[in-house]
Amino acid sequence: MKSDDVKSILIIGMAGGLAKITAQLLVKKYPNAKIIGVDSRSIKGSIKTPNIQYKKIRYTRGNFEKLFRDEDFDIVYHLGRMSHADTSPLASIEQRLDLNLMGTKRILDLSLKFCVKKVVILSTYHVYGALSDNPVFINEDQPLRASIKHPELRDVVEMDQIATNWMWKNQGEIETLVLRPSTIVGPQIRNSMTRYLIAPYAPVCADFNPMFQFVHEFDMATILVRSLAEIPTGIYNVSPDECISLKSAKMALSCPTIPLPSFILQAGLKLISTGLWSFPQYLLDYIKFACITDNSLIKAHLGPEIFRYNTKEALLLSKLD
Amino acid sequence: MDFYKKYLPTTIPKERLDEVFAGLEEKYTKGEDPWGLNLSKARKTLDILYPLYKNYFQVRVFGKENIEEEPYMVVSNHSGQIAIDGMLIATAFATEIEPPRILRSMVERFFTALPWVGTLAAEGGAVLGDRQNCLNLLNRGESVLVFPEGVRGVAKSTFDFYKLQRFTRGFFRMALTANTKVLPVCVVGAEEIFPWVYQAKGVARKLGLPALPISPLYFPLPSPVDIHIGKPYSIPDLSPEAPDSEIDLHIDKIRNEIRELTTQGLKMRRPFFANKT
Repeated sequence: MKSDDVKSILIIGMAGGLAKITAQLLVKKYPNAKIIGVDSRSIKGSIKTPNIQYKKIRYTRGNFEKLFRDEDFDIVYHLGRMSHADTSPLASIEQRLDLNLMGTKRILDLSLKFCVKKVVILSTYHVYGALSDNPVFINEDQPLRASIKHPELRDVVEMDQIATNWMWKNQGEIETLVLRPSTIVGPQIRNSMTRYLIAPYAPVCADFNPMFQFVHEFDMATILVRSLAEIPTGIYNVSPDECISLKSAKMALSCPTIPLPSFILQAGLKLISTGLWSFPQYLLDYIKFACITDNSLIKAHLGPEIFRYNTKEALLLSKLD
Repeated sequence: MDFYKKYLPTTIPKERLDEVFAGLEEKYTKGEDPWGLNLSKARKTLDILYPLYKNYFQVRVFGKENIEEEPYMVVSNHSGQIAIDGMLIATAFATEIEPPRILRSMVERFFTALPWVGTLAAEGGAVLGDRQNCLNLLNRGESVLVFPEGVRGVAKSTFDFYKLQRFTRGFFRMALTANTKVLPVCVVGAEEIFPWVYQAKGVARKLGLPALPISPLYFPLPSPVDIHIGKPYSIPDLSPEAPDSEIDLHIDKIRNEIRELTTQGLKMRRPFFANKT
């Protein structure tokens, strides 16, 4: 997609760290484009870049429709998936289902109705599930098994499926990308997993030590920007070649750990989850069993070296405030 | 941790261990691989296992000269109730074969979910016995160890010792896909590690267990073990999707080779009170 073809970009989930970095990179790549970021949350700090506007809105059909009608977007980034952390003030299951399922469908339908050229949806590798019989490497065609053991992940899997079904159905009319990144880390990403990683004396399973793939937030944002011009419609895993075990990652971060048998950890999880910090039950499986994804498809479009930061650099940078 | 070495005095010489791992460190530069292999942990495990390998099971390896510097799909008979044979073959390939290699043993699905054991095995090189895993490893030039008899082979009653069970076909289709030679291997002596066993297959099925060995003895006996390595079986010009009838011709040849190695191996094994005649 040429620079002149992109005049207006919508970013959903603008209060998130990844969205902010992506917006800044988009300004550099498409200096003439107007970028509108929306979120139902308040944004920390102010956005000083003139090309970027932030709007705090609720994700209702009326609000969204007005936005699409007024702004005539060329590109839509859907980076606003709601997480399962209990500390989120909007974490009730109804709100999550409304945003992740109904919201996604709303965004996709409006994109089609108002002739958006390309939609990029950020899903997650969590959709494959962390299971003891996962192969290495999981490619994009593998079944999404996350909700087999954890029904609370149903919305994450279903959001991905809504997006992919819609993508194939409308591929003749609109370009759509579904990206499934492995764990994103960085100073601006503070989800349950990154907080767990950088927390000193966090418990780890003494009896399991799964492998992980980490993507630095800047690399992820770069891929989101490059995806506009360089990646055609499809589903893509975003992960590095490099893998590291959880215990080695904690060691690289110089974070001492408390090893506990997984059954004790499981029982104690609810106790250690406080009002300020919680560790969702399903994430325990992700610190027991590996979910290593295959990156050959995205590399076929972006080239063999798609990441600027290696795993250790990405981890160390995630500790910065 | 090293107290048992007093009673099992043979330890792997440090120079040999250094030599083995110098080569491996060149291959696995990050020290870990996506399947969970951890070189430093593998070294520690090998250091612990070697006295058991050399003194307790007194392993001898025959046919080392058949192995060249190329990846293989190592195919072995399965015996010993708790897959000690896999551990012994892997130790032999790491310490006695040139160049030393970490055999990637394909393990049953339930195994990877076991606390501690699954992780320890993965850190030593074992991987889930999945076709995609196998193919990815072969394509990376790794040697894999498969037991095509599966649980049927390892969980046998005493009266079935050394009777080769039916081979599944998947391993050969994988070898055809990756164009990797098959290396037949036979382990003799591992059956007598637990010499008196009755497999309660019906009860195991009802309980959803892979096997249920009934035995007066659940402690592994020091039965001397011999590992016989056959000549590599070259991969024929055949499609991996060839019909079963064409695949079976080759699987039968490999199975017969392992049966022949077993017959020869039984003739030359060392005396042990529990040996089945």
